[in-house]
Formats: sequence, C-alpha cells, structure tokens
Amino acid sequence: MNTLIIIDQAPYGSWEGREALDMAFSLAAFDQPVSLLFCGAGVNWLRKGQNAAKVQQKSVERNLAAAPIFGVDVLLAEGKACHQYGLTKSDLLDHVSITDFGSDLTDRFDHVAFAG
Amino acid sequence: MIRLKTLHILNKPPEHRRYALCLSAIGPDDGLLLTENGVLGMTQPGAIAGDRLFALGPDIDARGLAGQIDEDQIVSFDDMVEMTASADNVISW
Repeated sequence: MNTLIIIDQAPYGSWEGREALDMAFSLAAFDQPVSLLFCGAGVNWLRKGQNAAKVQQKSVERNLAAAPIFGVDVLLAEGKACHQYGLTKSDLLDHVSITDFGSDLTDRFDHVAFAG
Repeated sequence: MIRLKTLHILNKPPEHRRYALCLSAIGPDDGLLLTENGVLGMTQPGAIAGDRLFALGPDIDARGLAGQIDEDQIVSFDDMVEMTASADNVISW
C-alpha cells in the first residue's frame, strides 16, 4: 500500500500540517511506503532558513530534516506553487523534487490523503 | 456497485478551495463520494455524471437533505468501505 500525503497549508498558522507529517512518519516507521507532496501555500514548508523560535514553535524545517531517519525518502514540491511563492530549486530544502500535481502523480499511489 | 478507477472522497463544503480542485481532478472512470460538509454540494447542480456521484447517508440525514436526493446516490458506511476497497485507488481530499 503506497501512500501520498499532501500538505497544502502554510506552516505555523495551524497544526494540521504537523499532524499530517506525524501521520507520514508513523507510516514510514512501520515500513509503509509514503511520500510527501507540498502544494499551494504548503510549499512554504520547504523554504531554507526558517527560525520559528520567537513564535514559540520548532521550525518545520527541522521536523522535515527527520524525514530520511523515519524512512520518508521522497519530498515533492508542486512546481506551479513554488513559482507563485518565489521559490527556486536553490531556495528549497535539500532532497526536494519538483513535480506537477495531477493524475499522472496521484495514479502512482493506492491512497492519497490531504492534511486537515 | 459501479466499477471505479479512482474514488474521490470529498468532505469540504463547496466554498472550500479544495472542492473545485477535486472536481477538476475527476476522470471519466472515477467516482465522487461526498461526506461530512461535502454533502452540501448535493444541493448544487451536479458537476459529474449522476451515476458516479454518491453521498454518505448519515451526513445527508444530519443536514436534513434526505428528501432532496436520489436514493440511488445515498450510501451507507458499509457501502463506503466496500467502495474504498474495490476502487483502484482512493484520494481523500
């Protein structure tokens, strides 16, 4: 069972994205294949140089750094949204691949679930 | 029950940004199951063929919509489980 989890909400404004991240890490910890796609405002999760100390949160950049440790190997960013938010490949965290969102992508997964 | 390639499960009301995104992603062999506030979409003109559009009965009843909807389009929790298991893949919007 191959799962794609999609985060389409900006970081820090709500907890729903973090809950989805926990879900992805839990799947991976039990050896279930899982990929993460960030689209829409969600691409802002992937920007380098986040410092959330003064909003009393851990930066999601640090959360995402744990992805390979849990076995989440594939982090995807929607190209159109990256362009919209001024993110080029060099602005994104390492190991992020840019993709289009559509049936070519979702057909590769048994289950696709959005955050929140 | 009708054979579905992708089952789209949509629990957002029609104003939600993901509602329109979901409708645009539905292919010719796919089905759409409206749940929770998604069932409010049944009060609006259908965006996909009626024989591939479904709504979850308990959510329809909760919102007082039962009289307005074709009974063939209303599914139970058990039907939902069956649809989820028999579709090639599932997208939970």
